Amino acid sequence: MSLVFQSLVLGVLMGGLYALLAAGLTLYFGVMRVVMIAHAAFLVLAAYLAWAFTVGTGLDPMLSLVVTVPLFFAVGVGVQRLLVARLRPATMTMMSVLLTFAVALAVEGALGLVFTGTHRRLPLSYAGARLELFGASVALVKLIAFGLAVVTLAGLHVLLKVTRFGQALRATMQHREAARLLGVDTDRVAGYGFGLGLATAAVGGTALALDATIYPSLHWAWIGPLMAIIVVGGLGSVGGAAIAALLLGVGQNLLQLPLGTTWAQTFFYAALFVTLILRPQGFFGGRLAQRF
Amino acid sequence: MDIAHGLRIGALGATVALLVSGCFGGRPAEGGAGGDGPIRVGVSLPLTGDFSEPGKGVQRGYEAWAKHVYENGGLLGRQVELIVLDDQSNADRVAADYEKLINSDGVDLVFGPFSTRLVIPAAQVARDYGFLFVEPAGAAREVFEQGFDNLFYAAPAIAQDHYDHLAEAITAMPEATRPKTAAYAAMDDPFAQGTANGLKEKLAAAGIRTVVDEVYPPNTTDFGSIAAKIADSRADVVVGGTQYQDAVNLIVALRQLNYQPKLAAFSTAPTNPEFPKAIGAQTEGILSPTGYTPEADYPSNKEFVDFYAREHGAAPTEDEANAWTTGQVVAAAVTAAGCADPSKECQRKMIDWLHANEVRTVVGPLRWDSAGRPQGAHLIQQYVGGEIRIVLPAEAKEAELVYPKPAW
Repeated sequence: MSLVFQSLVLGVLMGGLYALLAAGLTLYFGVMRVVMIAHAAFLVLAAYLAWAFTVGTGLDPMLSLVVTVPLFFAVGVGVQRLLVARLRPATMTMMSVLLTFAVALAVEGALGLVFTGTHRRLPLSYAGARLELFGASVALVKLIAFGLAVVTLAGLHVLLKVTRFGQALRATMQHREAARLLGVDTDRVAGYGFGLGLATAAVGGTALALDATIYPSLHWAWIGPLMAIIVVGGLGSVGGAAIAALLLGVGQNLLQLPLGTTWAQTFFYAALFVTLILRPQGFFGGRLAQRF
Repeated sequence: MDIAHGLRIGALGATVALLVSGCFGGRPAEGGAGGDGPIRVGVSLPLTGDFSEPGKGVQRGYEAWAKHVYENGGLLGRQVELIVLDDQSNADRVAADYEKLINSDGVDLVFGPFSTRLVIPAAQVARDYGFLFVEPAGAAREVFEQGFDNLFYAAPAIAQDHYDHLAEAITAMPEATRPKTAAYAAMDDPFAQGTANGLKEKLAAAGIRTVVDEVYPPNTTDFGSIAAKIADSRADVVVGGTQYQDAVNLIVALRQLNYQPKLAAFSTAPTNPEFPKAIGAQTEGILSPTGYTPEADYPSNKEFVDFYAREHGAAPTEDEANAWTTGQVVAAAVTAAGCADPSKECQRKMIDWLHANEVRTVVGPLRWDSAGRPQGAHLIQQYVGGEIRIVLPAEAKEAELVYPKPAW
């Protein structure tokens, strides 16, 4: 019983992290129909920057966000303007897979060049610290990562629902031509939307670095599950992706008990196939996929 | 008659010329032991991907060995040139790499890659061309069950036997303090799993109950659930059949669940210099089998450690040592055979010599059975007072085995 509860707690924490890591992916697709294969590579890049920051300065990796979030936002705007915007809208989704695949390889190669292939881990004094919750252990680093996810996703939600920029972004997501006719500068909004997505990768990568051993090719282990999450959640829906992330995270952790790690890993892909067969537009929110 | 005879001789001469040039034409400079060009040694290593960490260690070892040979007048009076390809830890790629090295690059010798998954396909290619194949890191049982007669593992023991000294020490403990239960988590990889299974069989036979026995795919990065199972079992002993990142992540996950075993043993990772940086002070008491210690007093080892430390500013680890050992073993075979060329006769001479003789190396004297299994056992190391110390077997120990291990 306590093992099931412990797994449930671990699943919820992992689901929160998944939600944070997938948030950017759903934004890119929502705003521009871009399938961003390089998102996970940028997560690993942010993780490396957090590691380098902490090893170099001895300060807490969380402080690296002050630099990496604006930096990633700027890089995101740049990538959108200089690369993605040049793809033909008619073949955007397909070609963006190729383009961002190349970007992922470039980021991975650069990481290998600068940081070498040596596996790194943040030296944190509180790496093994934990809280007790009704008999289950909650690792402090996992709780911090979960907290980052909650804060970031809540911030994103407020930004999208309340601000003028959010309205413009959502209008662009819903109908680009109509938004342009109403006076929204959709090109600029698309750039900012991409930047926003990459800024979440800065936060996500730092959260990831708290409790993971990182190496340049790590992103290949992440991109598959993250893609599965945004498809199950409904492409373009941040809330849907968050719910899907939690359900898949919990499901995977609980399934590991009877099935073992190898079979539990297939859960994400099973969920992906079931979604595509039964409800290709995703289970939560997301009308966008119908046009895809 | 005369003309016909002349034609026949001419034809014979042409045929012989064609045959000779067909055999040796591609590589006029390197062919034969008498060549004075460098001896070209081909090797494919996992410099990226799953095994990039140990793969780079092996590369450092090979390069240090080549440099050492260079500074000491070469092999058979010829210099040694390494040709290193990156197989990206991919078994398909490693086979293609060795095809390329032997076929189009025309190397004289090959050295093995890192780890069982890559050694088997690579050794198959080498066998097809009749090449001697000495390898630094394919230690799983499967490697020696493929019928290779050209393969030699350049380390003291195969994977199943890595923990032999630890198994003996545990089973020899008095009943009252001896552990009762054990949890095993092993990567689905022939080498990593082989080490854990070897210990599991011996402990189970001695009545130590297996309470968790998990196998995970090599790409696993989250160890929360596996750690939860192990913590829930409260096993006295935890054994990881691990490579690198899996061991680190599993140890941190176990700590986060406040699981405190009496004994914790993990293969490979604790011998890596990055390990204490990742785990911090909590490495204390962690055990690992190791085929190598820089302190060993074999004559060539001191020379190796001094040379390596001068080049890299740090003592070599097991990966570098196994690579260097591979170099030593091949060099011994080359010297004994008096040749270093890709011809079947020369390669066969070296293979036959290694089957019949012992080679003195930095990991001790090595000799092999007909399948290339080395006939020794691994040392057991432990982090004692923040330092790696050999604790088993008794005749090689640098410190006492710490049991039960301190909390992590």
